[in-house]
Amino acid sequence: MDQQKVLVALEDVSTYFTVSGGMLRGKRTVKAVDGVSLEIREGETLGLVGESGCGKSTLGRTIVRLNEPTAGRILFEGKDVTELKGEALAQFRRETQMIFQDPYASLDPRMTIGEIIREPMVIHGLYGTEKQREEKVVELLQTVGLKPDHIRRYPHEFSGGQRQRISIARTLALQPKFIICDEPISALDVSIQAQIINILKRIQRETGIAYLFIAHDLSMVKHISHRIAVMYLGHIVEVGESDTIYRTPMHPYTKALLSAIPIPDPIRGKNRHRIPLGGEIPSPIDPPAGCPFCTRCPDAEERCFTQRPQLSQRGDRAVACFALEE
Amino acid sequence: MDKIIDVEKLSVTFPTEQGRVQAVRDVSFHVNEGEILGIVGESGSGKSVSMYSLMGLLPGTAEISCERMEFEGKDINVCHFPDGKEYAAVMEGIRGNRMAMIFQDPMTFLNPTMKIGRQICEPILNHTGLSKEEARNKALELMAMVGIPSPETRIDQYPFEFSGGMRQRIIIAIALANQPRLIIADEPTTALDVTIQAQVLELIKYVKDTMNSSVILITHDLGVVASLCDRINIMYGGKIVETGTDREIFYEPNHPYTKGLLSCICNPEEDDRELTPIPGSPPDLLMPPAGCPFVDRCGEAMKICKLRMPEAETLSPTHRSMCWLNEWKKRQEK
Repeated sequence: MDQQKVLVALEDVSTYFTVSGGMLRGKRTVKAVDGVSLEIREGETLGLVGESGCGKSTLGRTIVRLNEPTAGRILFEGKDVTELKGEALAQFRRETQMIFQDPYASLDPRMTIGEIIREPMVIHGLYGTEKQREEKVVELLQTVGLKPDHIRRYPHEFSGGQRQRISIARTLALQPKFIICDEPISALDVSIQAQIINILKRIQRETGIAYLFIAHDLSMVKHISHRIAVMYLGHIVEVGESDTIYRTPMHPYTKALLSAIPIPDPIRGKNRHRIPLGGEIPSPIDPPAGCPFCTRCPDAEERCFTQRPQLSQRGDRAVACFALEE
Repeated sequence: MDKIIDVEKLSVTFPTEQGRVQAVRDVSFHVNEGEILGIVGESGSGKSVSMYSLMGLLPGTAEISCERMEFEGKDINVCHFPDGKEYAAVMEGIRGNRMAMIFQDPMTFLNPTMKIGRQICEPILNHTGLSKEEARNKALELMAMVGIPSPETRIDQYPFEFSGGMRQRIIIAIALANQPRLIIADEPTTALDVTIQAQVLELIKYVKDTMNSSVILITHDLGVVASLCDRINIMYGGKIVETGTDREIFYEPNHPYTKGLLSCICNPEEDDRELTPIPGSPPDLLMPPAGCPFVDRCGEAMKICKLRMPEAETLSPTHRSMCWLNEWKKRQEK
């Protein structure tokens, strides 16, 4: 794993939004992503987990430049993507793709499936002739387990699971190296989720695509990811191999989060000890000065409220917590 | 144990422009006093519709047929009330009082233009003789019970001032207002984060234990079911295909659909294994198959499965499953 080349590197990336604080209060800043450093390697799946509002979707959108970062550098194959222009930017856009959560909103209802999958090829001028594109579309439909005669149908004729397959086929049309999957299965039924997960895993085995898998279903994230990053209030608090993180979480937030996963086993599930998490996630407009988790942390000390712990290597993982530094 | 809910042969059909959607087909079930019954199924399996019919909340176009529907021994079968007004009067007395519902979406359930206090007081004022003052005190008590900090100030706030988890707590407080005997929770935590989900589920269990009510929990999350429910009904294509205690369903599943569901989820405490998804998608209830609804996705389907619906096979006093394989196994043994 360690020998693999780094595909995407985030260096101290921040994404802030400016919101109006109301009359007389002027403008205020929402720190959605605040100083995140991460690496995604070739051919791996990095799972990004955290509660809603922690900034995980914003981080994903920032990597593909759907949101512009306020500070920091995003390196894709060593090149800073925030400085790309013209042809280089077009190539970056071709090599990084995104699958969205809601397959009912991400497909144009007035285009046929064939047109939807062909559109990115046309935009990027791939596969020369119309006939070659048609053949590629058929091939892609088969890759995601749909039939070639679906090509002339419209999105409303498909179920949620089938639509998500269409979204996957569309992203694959450009032969990307990196796909950001933003909650791709949370709108689907349980029996359909496993179908989509298996398709994503098979495609990765065959083509070596890297995924950033954003989700709040912690069981499925563990299943698909090689490594996991845990995000809280715009910060990464712990990163490591997924087995390591799930077996022996170190950061108090990771511990609490993982202990809340419902276990599909009646005896283990009913006797599980959950680490209670008091209070609520603070507003990213007015985050705590010290550790982002200090307001809810059961082990918070004095310095946690004033200083911010940095993500630092601790054995087989990186974690940001003062209590673990001794 | 007494049955608090007893339903026999319930069917619900919706006439639509495309044809008749047979959402619930001939299901029988019961809820024991003091237990949590889980109803598991995919979207469109009929789990919500069958529960809405208990509450009398189906739209007027729904065609309901039912042999028996009793709540605390009292007849609430809409088919036995030729006069709609009489049925409405009976249900008025039960809904929000003896039987209450917790809905999935905490944002659409609450009235955004009404203060929280008034919304909690509404069922209290409707069903008890308490004065406004007393109802307000009761509301404060309920808010404290479901874990809303500083209820005295929060009671005069509007729903937008609360987070998703807090709103779900308010909905639970409203459902609990009159100490219902039965709480129907329709996907109460689907919209919530896992940490908040765990808090809400613990709260449901806590109020069930303190009020000795029964709970019907509708969900598609098998983890939630395993950690909360005493008994489980598995629904598929408008039918209850398997019913059993939590251990029977998870450790000795009988129906191929139940087995399929269990093999396409992962347990984060165990080592990774390949997920085995169920191929295909659920049947179209406009034209439900004559035989078993699962036949097109079942790896073990036989000829008869396409032709006729199997009878429920009793595997233990609490465990029943509708699958032809049981009949076939019995014949093999003979």
